[in-house]
Amino acid sequence: MTSDAGARQIDTPTQEYLDFPGGRVHVFRGGTGRPLLFLHAAGGAGQWLEFHRLLARRHEVYAPDHPGFGRSGDLPEVEAMDDLVYHYLDVIDRLGLARPHVVGASFGGWLAAELAVAAPHLIGSLVLLAPAGLRMPDHPIADLFIMTPEQIVGALYHDPAKAAGAMADEPDVDAVLTAYRDATALARFSWTPFLCNPKLERRLHRITAPTLVAWSADDRLIPIAHGHRYAERIPNAEFAVVDDCGHAMYFERPAAFADLVTDFLARNPSGAADTTEKAANR
Amino acid sequence: MKFTYFHLMPYPYLPDDFDEAYSSPSLTFPNKHFDPALGHRLYHRYLDELEYAEQIGFDGIAVNEHHQSAYGLMPSPNIMAAALARRTERSQIMVLGNAIGIRGNPLRVAEEIAMLDHLTGGRVVSGFVRGIGWEYFAHSVNPTRSRDRFNEAHDLIIKAWTSDEMFQWISPNYEYRYVNIWPRPLQQPHPPIYIPAAGSSETIKFVAERGYTLMSVYSPARVIRRWFDKYREVAEELGHPPDPEKIAFSVPVYVADTDERAHREARQHVYWLFRKGLKQGPEIVLPPGYMTPSSMRGVLMARNKPLGKMSYEELLDEGQVVVGSPTTVTNRLGELQSELGYGQLIALFALGDMPHERVIGSMDLFAAHVMPALRPLGVAPASATNATKVGGVGGAGGAPGTGGG
Repeated sequence: MTSDAGARQIDTPTQEYLDFPGGRVHVFRGGTGRPLLFLHAAGGAGQWLEFHRLLARRHEVYAPDHPGFGRSGDLPEVEAMDDLVYHYLDVIDRLGLARPHVVGASFGGWLAAELAVAAPHLIGSLVLLAPAGLRMPDHPIADLFIMTPEQIVGALYHDPAKAAGAMADEPDVDAVLTAYRDATALARFSWTPFLCNPKLERRLHRITAPTLVAWSADDRLIPIAHGHRYAERIPNAEFAVVDDCGHAMYFERPAAFADLVTDFLARNPSGAADTTEKAANR
Repeated sequence: MKFTYFHLMPYPYLPDDFDEAYSSPSLTFPNKHFDPALGHRLYHRYLDELEYAEQIGFDGIAVNEHHQSAYGLMPSPNIMAAALARRTERSQIMVLGNAIGIRGNPLRVAEEIAMLDHLTGGRVVSGFVRGIGWEYFAHSVNPTRSRDRFNEAHDLIIKAWTSDEMFQWISPNYEYRYVNIWPRPLQQPHPPIYIPAAGSSETIKFVAERGYTLMSVYSPARVIRRWFDKYREVAEELGHPPDPEKIAFSVPVYVADTDERAHREARQHVYWLFRKGLKQGPEIVLPPGYMTPSSMRGVLMARNKPLGKMSYEELLDEGQVVVGSPTTVTNRLGELQSELGYGQLIALFALGDMPHERVIGSMDLFAAHVMPALRPLGVAPASATNATKVGGVGGAGGAPGTGGG
């Protein structure tokens, strides 16, 4: 591939659909390098953002929309997080990815952790960006289901100016419906237990991939205590904090998060070496 | 015309800073504002009003279910119905309805309604609702499953009432291996079913197909007209044009001896109902998945003015409240009857923070003057097997607007 073609792919990803019984799944693909499966947050489905472009400079980035989100169909048979894990095992097979790096943010970070627990040997390295998924009653996750759009955006960003910029002036009917559909998909998987799997924490020891847990210093949706807990429970996990940023992470400081991810993956290109070491440590 | 007296049992003693300090009287409004001594008196006052409604001639008395709210104090409507059962003799006792979408164990509803049927001697009416959006927060039920849960619970309850053999129930949201309720209901095959509906076409079709009673909820008459027309259309397509009684118009009503006095007295209480009682943002009313995409699109496209933004005059004009002297109220309800073709009026008299004496005065005038004048309207034609379109009944019943005094 010429560098020109690579650059085009970085800015204009290919889009493909995978057919499933309950609908089709939309996948962005861009860049070249070791494959990276990116699992989006509650927001951001169906978008190829600056953050994706930055990752795509080093990796072949696959960014599917989860069932019910973005440009994917509803796939109603994917009812809960356990189904979603099996769904992504299928997606990895269907895309022919051999031990891809898995990077997930927020809701997608929870999903990434579940995948790594369920199939530790199928993934390369793992990056969890402020993942939901743990039940920590003393450190509750903000209830975004009950927040107004203004409240959500206000809480997502560290910088109020960026929050103001992220708020649509007068969203049209289609934009409201799109947001309602994404929220509906999120609720399907996480209304109760609220954004967590109470069993996940005691399963995190199964993760063998080199793992980075990263958090924003000013995360007002998922308390950073969740990050410390993830880093404690996942064997040999690294932990990093990005300053001057809210839970919007790759919307608010895409370059900082992309650098963190690509540097970590450069240091842990396959995870293969670590696997043996960790297995011995367990 | 059939007349039903409906009660919400609101908690009227809101703090002075309610408007500024609280986004809603529901879900998150702190229960420190519930005064137990006042609450105790309220329950008895409200039950007295329901019992009184039977004494002055209402055909039905109705309660409903809400959770974690000053808008309505009946988390368990079946308890209210039980309290009324042996204190009344004639009226139907209507639970409008049990929120079966949020019940963890809907079989319990089948059991309780069957018990009520025996306590009332076959006077119970069983309404079913999904529950308002904020009740899915309150009882921690996933709103994306709301419609399926409602449908499955409904089917389970009907089968539990009508089956005289034990059966197994397995559906996506419920599993019962031994369904065999004791008691079975007194009314056969089961108590009448009412469905309060906010107009989604799925729901109206569901109601019409089963021959249930469709009850409107707070909406402009022109919108309710579409729901009722849709109901009649579906029912007629299925070959059973509905008895007008199965089309129930629910509306807040206030009657005083003159129009001037009625408006002077009603206005603040109407505002309490719409601006305090029903103060609730879309984030708690329409949680994700509570609405289907098509229903949500309908809501957004309709761009209806929020209830809390409507002026008193707009509410009157749209037929969302009916206020006036007995003559005025008779005329207005007669007009609405000929527009909507309803054969049952489900009227709310205890409006928001209206004091007991006003409620009773309004009920008395209604029963003495409005009820007799409207009684002949909205009745099925004599040859029920050859029923004509209900829309014509208002005129055929004659003289809406001439009664009262």
